[in-house]
Amino acid sequence: METSESYQVRLEVFEGPLDLLLFLIRKKKIDIHNIPIAVITREYLDYLGRKEQINLDREAEFVLIAALLIHIKSQLLLPREEPLLAGEDPRRFLVDQLVEFQKIKAACSLLKEREEEQLSLWTREILPPLPEPGEPDLVEVSLFDLAETFFVLMKRKEAENFKVVRGKDYSLEEKMNEIIAQLEKEKVLDFLEYFSRQETLEGAIVSFFSLLELIKARLVIAVQEQLFQTIKVWLRKQSPMRQ
Amino acid sequence: MAPDLKEIIEALIFVSLEPLSLEKIKETLADHPPEEVEQTLQELLRDSAAPGRGIAIIQSGGGYIFTTRREFDPWVRRFLKIDRKSKLTSASLETLSIIAYHQPITLSEISALRNVDSSYTIKTLLEKKLIKITGRKKSPGNPLIYRTTERFLAYFGLNSLEELPTEEEIARILGEEKTVEQEQKP
Repeated sequence: METSESYQVRLEVFEGPLDLLLFLIRKKKIDIHNIPIAVITREYLDYLGRKEQINLDREAEFVLIAALLIHIKSQLLLPREEPLLAGEDPRRFLVDQLVEFQKIKAACSLLKEREEEQLSLWTREILPPLPEPGEPDLVEVSLFDLAETFFVLMKRKEAENFKVVRGKDYSLEEKMNEIIAQLEKEKVLDFLEYFSRQETLEGAIVSFFSLLELIKARLVIAVQEQLFQTIKVWLRKQSPMRQ
Repeated sequence: MAPDLKEIIEALIFVSLEPLSLEKIKETLADHPPEEVEQTLQELLRDSAAPGRGIAIIQSGGGYIFTTRREFDPWVRRFLKIDRKSKLTSASLETLSIIAYHQPITLSEISALRNVDSSYTIKTLLEKKLIKITGRKKSPGNPLIYRTTERFLAYFGLNSLEELPTEEEIARILGEEKTVEQEQKP
């Protein structure tokens, strides 16, 4: 028996269940076309039970192959009325998959070498503009950055022990108009500051949704100097609603 | 003195930001016999491969382009203030080679080959413009069909899909692995 220390391999190493299977096949020096299913299944399940971290998404994929292995083994064990014909091996499906996957992995290693080589060659087209000293590096923010910032703000609001006042309804449209009006007056809006000015939690949330709507409608542009910093909002020039 | 054809071609490649194809060079130099252009280009490539320069002309992405030489990578990166270029993750690379060899291919076919859900990886590759959607398959659900792009070729320094590692090269790698394993046996 192998000692457990011999494969203290972490799950991250394996991109998927086939990676793990190939690893075990190589480790046991097994002929891929003649896999002893019992041995490999035991190794495989052993590994699944041993690993420390469980990523639920990936887990399902690993378990699926475990189920396939056990299914193959049961097919091999069950008595048959007629003997199997040549080429009718229940392992066939898995072997085909593994052989193909092995080829893909080999192609990957060749492509990786090429990638390495190409990345050390520089052409003029990919020269990124060198940032001007002192000029902030503005990035147009994605929805996720906005959401991230929103959660940071919400945390802050919570800490302020926000008083929830019921009874006042906020309309998205009103808020959007309010933001636009503010922007027309002041050109640029510090969203963090605007958000903090909201008197109620509802007001704060609606103002965030309004900002998302405005970005979606391409009426405003939201820019962040760095992740998790404040978001600055501008009107997009020549937006149709401003006529 | 009349300008030398070789020097003209060099100038054309220099101003081109995209790999400059042989067809385009011939088209520009229509007043020269195509064979002469081709032959001169080969001379130019040989010249540019000679030592003593920081740059060279390489054939990549279906054309010719100036690049810095490998050995100067550390200084270029120091100049551009880039620590290292980000490489593709192994999941991306795996998915990409499946698409390269099996294209046109759908997401479910990719996922079946990897036994791993590949929708996120596909998204990343689309964003990097290494793959593209070329239509829908006429099968239940009409799934999208993916193919590799020109940028994919250029990224790996390939000129066409025919230059992908061949079955023989792959078999050699797999063979090597086997020999290594046998050597390790006591």
